[in-house]
Amino acid sequence: MKFQVEDLTVYFPYEHIYPEQYQYMLELKRAMDAKGHCLLEMPTGTGKTIALLALIVSYILSGRPSAPSKLIYCTRTVHEMEKVLSELRVLHRLFVESDRQQPFLAVGLSSRKNLCINEAVNTAGSRDSVDAGCRKLTASWVRALASENPNIPTCPFFEEYERNSDALLPAGVYTLQELRSVGRQKGWCPYFLARHMIQFANVVVYNYQYLLDPKVAGIISKEMQRECVVVFDEAHNIDNVCIEALSVNVRQQTLDGASRNISKMSQIVEKFKATDASRLRAEYNRLVEGLAQRGNLPVSDAWLSNPVLPDDILKEAVPGNIRKAEHFISVLRRLVQYLRGRLQVEYVETEGPVSFVASISSQAGIDQKMLKFCYDRLHSLLLTLEITDTDEFLHIQTVCDFATLVGTYTHGFSIIIEPYDERMPNIPDPVLQLCCLDASLAIKPVLQRFQSVIITSGTLSPIDLYPRLLNFNPVVSQSLTMSLTRDCICPMVLTRGSDQLPITTKFDMRSDPGIVRNYGRLLLEMVSSVPDGIVCFFVSYSYMDAIVNSWNEMGILQEVMQHKLVFIETQDVVETTLALDNYRRACDCGRGAVFFSIARGKVAEGIDFDRHYGRLVIMFGIPFQNTQSRILLARLDYLRETFQIKESDFLTFDALRQAAQCVGRVIRSKSDYGMMIFADKRYNRHDKRSKLPGWILSHLREAHIDLSTDMALRIAQQFLRKMAQPYEKSGEGGNKTLLSQEDLIKIAQNGSLFF
Amino acid sequence: MGERKQEGRRGEDEDEDEEDEGGRRGRRVEAWERSYADERSWEDLQEDESGLLRAVDSKKQQHDQYRRRLQCISSRIQRGLIRYLFVVVDLSGAAGHTDFWPSRMAVVANGVEAFIREFFDQNPLSHIGMVTIKDGIAHCLTDLGSSPDSHIKALRAKLGCSGESSLQNALDLVRGYLSQIPPYGHREVLILYSALSTCDPGDIMETIQNCKKTKIRCSVIGLSAEIYICKHLCEETGGSYTVALDESHFKELLLEHAPPPPALAEFAVANLIKMGFPQRGAEGVIAICSCHKEAKIGGGYTCPRCKARVCDLPIECQICGLTLVSSPHLARSYHHLFPITPFDEVPSSFSNGLVHTLPRACFGCQQNFPGSKSSGRVACPKCGRHFCFDCDIYIHESLHNCPGCESQRSS
Repeated sequence: MKFQVEDLTVYFPYEHIYPEQYQYMLELKRAMDAKGHCLLEMPTGTGKTIALLALIVSYILSGRPSAPSKLIYCTRTVHEMEKVLSELRVLHRLFVESDRQQPFLAVGLSSRKNLCINEAVNTAGSRDSVDAGCRKLTASWVRALASENPNIPTCPFFEEYERNSDALLPAGVYTLQELRSVGRQKGWCPYFLARHMIQFANVVVYNYQYLLDPKVAGIISKEMQRECVVVFDEAHNIDNVCIEALSVNVRQQTLDGASRNISKMSQIVEKFKATDASRLRAEYNRLVEGLAQRGNLPVSDAWLSNPVLPDDILKEAVPGNIRKAEHFISVLRRLVQYLRGRLQVEYVETEGPVSFVASISSQAGIDQKMLKFCYDRLHSLLLTLEITDTDEFLHIQTVCDFATLVGTYTHGFSIIIEPYDERMPNIPDPVLQLCCLDASLAIKPVLQRFQSVIITSGTLSPIDLYPRLLNFNPVVSQSLTMSLTRDCICPMVLTRGSDQLPITTKFDMRSDPGIVRNYGRLLLEMVSSVPDGIVCFFVSYSYMDAIVNSWNEMGILQEVMQHKLVFIETQDVVETTLALDNYRRACDCGRGAVFFSIARGKVAEGIDFDRHYGRLVIMFGIPFQNTQSRILLARLDYLRETFQIKESDFLTFDALRQAAQCVGRVIRSKSDYGMMIFADKRYNRHDKRSKLPGWILSHLREAHIDLSTDMALRIAQQFLRKMAQPYEKSGEGGNKTLLSQEDLIKIAQNGSLFF
Repeated sequence: MGERKQEGRRGEDEDEDEEDEGGRRGRRVEAWERSYADERSWEDLQEDESGLLRAVDSKKQQHDQYRRRLQCISSRIQRGLIRYLFVVVDLSGAAGHTDFWPSRMAVVANGVEAFIREFFDQNPLSHIGMVTIKDGIAHCLTDLGSSPDSHIKALRAKLGCSGESSLQNALDLVRGYLSQIPPYGHREVLILYSALSTCDPGDIMETIQNCKKTKIRCSVIGLSAEIYICKHLCEETGGSYTVALDESHFKELLLEHAPPPPALAEFAVANLIKMGFPQRGAEGVIAICSCHKEAKIGGGYTCPRCKARVCDLPIECQICGLTLVSSPHLARSYHHLFPITPFDEVPSSFSNGLVHTLPRACFGCQQNFPGSKSSGRVACPKCGRHFCFDCDIYIHESLHNCPGCESQRSS
């Protein structure tokens, strides 16, 4: 189907379009016209991805002067990436069929672990070891040696790729799978091929990290022009991703490993001094000239760049006292020694970067400038020493990472040293945390560099808080709701048990047996009247353990098992996957099952419980963060001082977006239906409830607030019966939920939407 | 219902209780609960354009619903007239729930009784058997047969619920019986399912595939909510899956299964079946009945091939195995193959100037149409006569002849 969004012709691969998709495209187009950033919230199951892709690709190919050159689409997981690419394929087919002259090129990029086709390398388990394995075969000095001595192994795929270095892929859509098969066919390395193709592609799909983590972004994304549109999908947690990208933890093991690394490096330096002193000399000269000269290294050698991006650092010369390899190694040794000393604490210590740097300077004699250059200096040294097994040198890299961050930023960070884990105060496990408090630091370069950044998700409520957290001004920020042919979601706020006593997971009351029993009765009533799958979310692992234990003692769990099988999420990924698998089977074969899961857990973030896999989701309590955590307290202080965001506002916002994320798992399309129970009396308060996303709130009827268990049961039974009736998919009359091409033309003529 | 409530202080508000669906789990309903437990009479009110409240026109709604049903069955297609149907009644613990008054199983029993009578009325050539599920085990209550009373009596006698439910056991049992019937018969299962889960000894997916292979059409009527496995079963085997909203809706859904369903594609081949049309025996003749194995006086029918005496028609002759029917039986099944076309609704917005040209009275019952509004009438597309809703339903469901067309033909 082909239609006009204002003055832009959009190609859309399906026969019908939802009104909210049209609205979404309209908002997007306005943001792109204005060359500004935008925030868009639209519930899942409304075809957000395809609306986005269709509009932006049509815009790029429209050939108008304001058109961006490239779409960079960031996803959180490989699975989502594949989904985006398969939608792109549908779109591509449409463009080919409607014989547009220039079909587009779309490439997915992932780490070597997902792309490598060299059997010898990709069998290694972790990402880091695959990376190191690859470097061992492809580093420039290894290849130089191999050209003289054929016994040294190299990667045949990389060699083949290098020989055809101007190799180009024909236009089309390439998923990871296809990149691998193309690689196998032609004998080219898919990873480097994909990295090469990024420059030419119209659409690039990759992970958040490639843009947000400055270490990776420097290499992968540095060639992107300003005229790009960047999309962050499922971005409700984007502030946390930003913060994690700039946070470093140093433990005892890290320091031990770093010491080992240092002694190994000094051995190699000694060896080089004896055999090949000129190489060290050359490095010294290069450092005198400045790090900027480093730019034209062979592509396979570059692995990580500076974790902070200020441009001036690259132009500055490395300070004289760390230019020589042995001097730098002794600086590192002192630094590790100092950190080791700091880890020996009895009580929790919190410090700002400025005083920390001052204390390093006075005690270890390392000044701020030296700290700032640690990372680049180490990088340069590792290259000079021709070290390929980089996975072993992770520890020293972490330490240097830490040093550079501390040396660069004077605020927005905080250093917290904890002598033991809160949960196990008897076991000493000291950890030195450098935590980033300001999410805007990591995303700032992205926002500055690209003309349009689009942040979108199913839950971005309250939408005015995100610009404040990320410190930018969106030109469009809009929350769209879902048009439904029937009321297929049924949220309920449950505040009382059947004995009319309030229920809550408030910390001081959660272990009250009355509340535990009431929660148990709620689950029991629900398992006996809801078919197939039920998902329960708890606020934390410890709480889940406690409550499941008490249910077991009270005999509630046994009664639940008579109706449905019970599966539990654990911290072990393999175990959880197995549990999920069996949960699905139990739902399929009609036995029925309950899944106990954790808000903020893996399941809550990435697993869908659509259709019969989740007819009901119960949110036991409000998933507040652990307010005892020092990191959170530091961040709250910072937010209050810098952005004037009240602690309670932020905590509620954070908890409610998690809750919304959890309950949103049950409904993934419009033909689906599901119920959501918010079981805590605190949800009844307006300040909590109003922070839920609009598409849930609009279905939360007055009659479904402040319920007791038996009332909720009654509503559930009626809802399930009503939803089991056959219904008209396209909606009738004025309440149209599917628009055809004619409808859209009509809209364009009237100049307004009729809903 | 009144008796149960009367012990207590609320003997006088029986009328109110009449609306009540009754305490769940057999508890007495407290006053504070009642507001949720009652029938929600306010939902029967509708707001019109000017904001006035008026009662929902339930008769009109019912008629609309009936018409919708008619639309989907009215096309002239091949139907399976000789049906072998097993009714599976779920008597697991969930059948004791009281969300249907007085309990699910009582509602089911009443429904089944009405259904069986209607079924034999519409399909005189067909057979029904009954299976119950209790404690996870399926029992065969009655074998395939065509006597409505024996089925109803058997179900009434065994009414009681406990334990789990097992779809697989029931399907396996039914499949065992149905795989033996002759190939021209249409194999069907109608499951009345109260439970929300099924506790099976093996892989139910395999059983479903086997049912599909044996060409058994499985339909399910759920009493509480949509269950995936039931939906899957119906989709795979070509049956229908519905869920009842309340007692009356349940009955309606059940009766929808009485008219013969469209034949499955695999059955859609012409088949000749040997049948006998026996003569009724003379009064006062004593003969040994082959079905009851005892001497009986008068009545009865004599098989044209082996001259054995049988009591009821239709039946399969016990001696020579010939299918014995009477001609009215065949005639009664005949209309399913040639249904009368559904009548068109005369739009209510028929231009006012033309209202007086329309006939004033229904051609069927000769009663005047209500009011000046032209809605509430339908017209036969062939003869153009107008009928009221009641006559419409009567003509399509009982008469199977259009009076307008018939009278035209004779003149």
